[in-house]
Amino acid sequence: MLAAIWQGPFIRLVPVGMVLLALQRSLLVEFTVAGVIIQVVLALAAAAGAAAGSERGAIAGFTLGVMYDMLEGLPIGSTAIAMTLAGAVAGLLALIVADPQWWLAMSFTTLGAAVGEVMLPVVRLFTGVPDPFEPRLTIIVPVVAIAAGILSPVFVPLARWCLRIKRAEWVAPPREPAL
Amino acid sequence: MAIYTVGRRRVIFALLLTCALLLTLDLRGNPVLDRARDGFSRVMSPVESATDVVATPLGRAWNGITEYDDLEAENQALQDQVDRLIGTQATARLSVEEYQELLALLSLDSLAGIPTEVAKVVGASSNNLDQIIEINKGRSSGFKVGMPVVNQAGLIGKITSVTDNTAKVLLITDARYAVPVRVLGAPAPDSTPTNTNPSGQTNEELEDLVATTVGPSTTLVTDVLNTGSTLPQNDSGSIIVADDGAVVTNPAALGDEALGEASTGLDDPTDLVVAAATTTTTVLALAAKEFGALEGRGRGLIPQIRFLQDNPSIAVLQEGDLVVTAGGFDSLAPPDIPVGVVINRADRSGPGGPLLDVLPYADVTKLNFIRVVKYTPLSEVEQ
Repeated sequence: MLAAIWQGPFIRLVPVGMVLLALQRSLLVEFTVAGVIIQVVLALAAAAGAAAGSERGAIAGFTLGVMYDMLEGLPIGSTAIAMTLAGAVAGLLALIVADPQWWLAMSFTTLGAAVGEVMLPVVRLFTGVPDPFEPRLTIIVPVVAIAAGILSPVFVPLARWCLRIKRAEWVAPPREPAL
Repeated sequence: MAIYTVGRRRVIFALLLTCALLLTLDLRGNPVLDRARDGFSRVMSPVESATDVVATPLGRAWNGITEYDDLEAENQALQDQVDRLIGTQATARLSVEEYQELLALLSLDSLAGIPTEVAKVVGASSNNLDQIIEINKGRSSGFKVGMPVVNQAGLIGKITSVTDNTAKVLLITDARYAVPVRVLGAPAPDSTPTNTNPSGQTNEELEDLVATTVGPSTTLVTDVLNTGSTLPQNDSGSIIVADDGAVVTNPAALGDEALGEASTGLDDPTDLVVAAATTTTTVLALAAKEFGALEGRGRGLIPQIRFLQDNPSIAVLQEGDLVVTAGGFDSLAPPDIPVGVVINRADRSGPGGPLLDVLPYADVTKLNFIRVVKYTPLSEVEQ
C-alpha cells in the first residue's frame, strides 16, 4: 500500500499544489491583470487534464480543489467541483490526438480553465450565495483562461511530472525481413 | 484503445458526487471536516511563510515600479487631508467626550466595555469572487465566528471562520454580508464647519495642542474602542456650530466672562483653550432618518442599503447621509460603528423603497491592521 502511495500521483501533486497555493495567496494577489487574480492552481488542474486525459485531470483537479477549499476556508467541495470539471474538460484533448502539439495543449488548458472559472459562481449559486454572477465575470473568465493558456507550456510538463506521465515515444515498427 | 470509456466517465462522476457530498456535509457543519481544515492550515503555515520570504520583496519591487506615481499623488492628498483634520481635531475630541459622558449618565448601550484586539492582515482571498481577508490571530486570542471587525475608519466586516492562530474575515463588500444600519441625516451644507480652525488658532498651534493633550490623538473608531469606556462611534455625526447657526471662527470674541466660566474646574490650560472655543457652540446630534439593511455586492462594487421606506414627511434620504450600524437583538455588530456615507440614491417603483449606494469609510482594499470587537452576535452563537 505504501508503495502504491509512493508511486501514485499524490506524492508529487500535493507538495506542488501546496507551493502553488502559497504563491497564489501571496504573490499573485499582488500581481493582478486588469484587476483579476491569475488562478495558477486552476491552471495546473487544467494542464493536468491536457497532459494526462480526463480521468487523471479530474483527479488532479479534485485534489487541488479540496486543498484550495481547505486553505481558503470555503465550503469543501465548492472549488473542487469547478477544478474537477476543468481537468475533465481539458482532458477531452485526448479524444483528438494522443500526443498533442504545444498549441493544442494550450488551447485545451485555456478551455478547461474557462470552464472551471465559470463553474465557480454556478456552484456558489447552488450553495445559496446571492447573485454570484457579478458583472466582472466577463473580464475574469477570459483573463484567467488566457493566463492558464500562457502558463501551459510550463504547467503541462509540470503536470506530467506530478502525475508520472511519460511522453509517448513513437517507434517505427521493425522492418520485415526481406524475402 | 478506447480513450473515453464508460469507466473513465464513472471516475469523473464519482469525483463530482464526492464533491457534492463533501459540500453538503461542510455546509451543514461537520467537525471532522473542520479539524481537517485546521490541520491543513497548520501544515501550510510553514510553506506560506517560506513563500512570503520570496514573494514579499518581489511584490514590493513590483509595486514600487508600478505604483510610484499613484503613491506620490496619494501622499499629497493625504497631507492635505491631515492638515484639514488637525484643525477640527481638538474640538471634535471635546464633542465626543461630552457625548460619552451623556451616554454614561443615561446608561445607554454602545461599544462600552466590549474588549477588542488588534490583528494583522496576513492574506487576502486568492480568487476573484470572495471578499475575504485572513488575519494572524484566531481561536487562541478569543476570536469567534460572527465577531465584528473594524479599523481606524469604521466597519470592515465579520469573522466567518477561525482556526487556532488565524481567522477569516468576510468584508462588508462581499455579496454574502448584510448588517442592519441606521441612516443619519447629513449636516446641512450651510452648517458644515468651513473654517477648519474653530478655535481660531493656526494649524501649528493646534498641532501642539493635540500633541500635548493626554489620550488618543484622534477620535477614530479604534481609539474610542481603546478607551474601553462608553463611547459612541459616530463622532462624525456631530457638527459644531454657534448658537445662531454660524460657524465659530474667533473664540477670542467670546469675552472674559465666558472664558472664566469655561475655566471653572479645569486644571489643564489646554482644556481651557478647548473649552473656551466650544463654550458658545452647540453640538447637534444627527437624528436617525431610517433603518435598513446594508448588503455587499462583490468586488469592485460598493454596498447598498435595501429595505428602506421612503417617507418624505419624516425624512428625505439623500446623498451625503451618514450610515452607522444599528445594533439590535440579532445584529452582527453593536450599534454606532461608522459604516460609510450615502453617495447615490436610486428610486424604485413599487413598495421596494429606494436603494442607497454607500461608500464605506474603510478602504477594504488596503488593510494592514484591524481590530476585532469581541462581541458575539446572538445570531452567530450556535456556530
